[in-house]
Amino acid sequence: MTQRGTRSLRPRRITRRRMLASVPALGALATGCSEVGRPPVVRGGLIGAADVFTMSLSRWAQADQPLAREYGPEDIAPSFPTWGQTNPESEEYQEHVRQGFRDWTLPVEGLVAAPRSFSMAELVGMPSRTQITAHVCEQGWSAIGEWTGVRLAHVLEAAGGVTADARYVVFHAVDGWYESIDMFEVVHPQTILAYRLNGADLPVGNGAPLRLRVERQCGYKNIKFVRAVEVVDSVAGLRRGTGGLSSDFGFHWFGGV
Amino acid sequence: MSAIVGKWLALHSYNVRICHWINVIASGYLLLSGIHIFLDFPELYWGNTGYQGYPALFKLSDWGLSWDEAGALGNRMWGRNYHFTFAWVFLVNGVVYVGWSLWTGHLRTRLWLTRPEMTMAAIATDARQHLRWQDPARTAATTYGAIQRLSYLLVLFVFVPMMLLTGLAQSPGFAAAWPWLLDIFGGRQSARTLHSIGTVVFVLFVVIHVLEVVLAGAVNRIRAMFTGRFAVVSEER
Repeated sequence: MTQRGTRSLRPRRITRRRMLASVPALGALATGCSEVGRPPVVRGGLIGAADVFTMSLSRWAQADQPLAREYGPEDIAPSFPTWGQTNPESEEYQEHVRQGFRDWTLPVEGLVAAPRSFSMAELVGMPSRTQITAHVCEQGWSAIGEWTGVRLAHVLEAAGGVTADARYVVFHAVDGWYESIDMFEVVHPQTILAYRLNGADLPVGNGAPLRLRVERQCGYKNIKFVRAVEVVDSVAGLRRGTGGLSSDFGFHWFGGV
Repeated sequence: MSAIVGKWLALHSYNVRICHWINVIASGYLLLSGIHIFLDFPELYWGNTGYQGYPALFKLSDWGLSWDEAGALGNRMWGRNYHFTFAWVFLVNGVVYVGWSLWTGHLRTRLWLTRPEMTMAAIATDARQHLRWQDPARTAATTYGAIQRLSYLLVLFVFVPMMLLTGLAQSPGFAAAWPWLLDIFGGRQSARTLHSIGTVVFVLFVVIHVLEVVLAGAVNRIRAMFTGRFAVVSEER
């Protein structure tokens, strides 16, 4: 593990959430009331109950915010697979590809004290984190890669920090894909917006210029081609309201299993 | 003059019967949903890394079903939703069964190998009779045989924990919380491969289990698993 930059990157205003996250979610197994153990929308029937049980158990096991395993350079996969959307067709995106994402900007909107946009140069100039981790796809494959990026918490702090009622961070992608994660994942040190893979600029097939790394959840939560970050108190107003395109389809919102 | 007279014996308790049928439903769904998940990525690897193009231990395409054909059969979204749901049903049911069996002594008296059966000679005799299709006493048997007990104990205390752990090891969240899950199996792909091998073992267990039920008198056996009562037929003078 290499970690450059020594200042604390934890947004102060998330402290309440961190405390909440550190409360063992075991109680949620019985009540389903603790929000760290519950997706934004609890599905009906046995499947919904199982979702809450699974997420509560997983969050209880992760109550002290462990890092996902980090590997050595010798473990890096010979070629990192590309999957799903590997080259968004949008003309605007293709123009950015041609220009090497020189003018790419990342708006950070919603429940932050000072909403603003960041240029790629600004993001790359922030303290970076490099982690060699296993990308675990819900389909069954996994591959180890070295990701470099800026901690999401740091970016949010640079936008003034999240407000007290912030509950989810939503990522909008170029191709219309969107995903959201809760504050439990946002504050995690390995949750980064990655711009490099295996030492080189993030390839288009892997989500250039920015992709989310949320190492304790499956690949589909690690959304590629991030074009905007939005902090919200509820995901109900977005599309079908489940908090992500994959959960809109019917996959689990919580990708930790 | 001798006459055949029948008598009902209370063979299976409520717990055994209820847990048995819940288990049939839960493991049925686990198997089906597991196959759906597998079909959407029908290759197996060893270690931490494995993806299309990486050296595989097993490829379904080598066995006549191409990647696209397998993908068309499998629905991993359905599979994942039902797999993780019925894993809970299976687990809770299993805990109730084992807990109750410990409480009532069912585990000790009916499942645990008693001393005379604990010898290799006794197990060998039982095995010989099975292999020769000699099951003279089994149709009337109201206790579990030595190999039957041994296999149930292995399923309960070796197979199920293995499936649970190899399943959890594949989850990025649980693997982060409990990294020893990755260490004991040698990586996520190894865990996935062992989980798949376990699925084959489970199917073999079910096939043999059902075969034994048929050989030991299907109607009487299956009826007993529903009603609890087993018809004992004896000859009376």
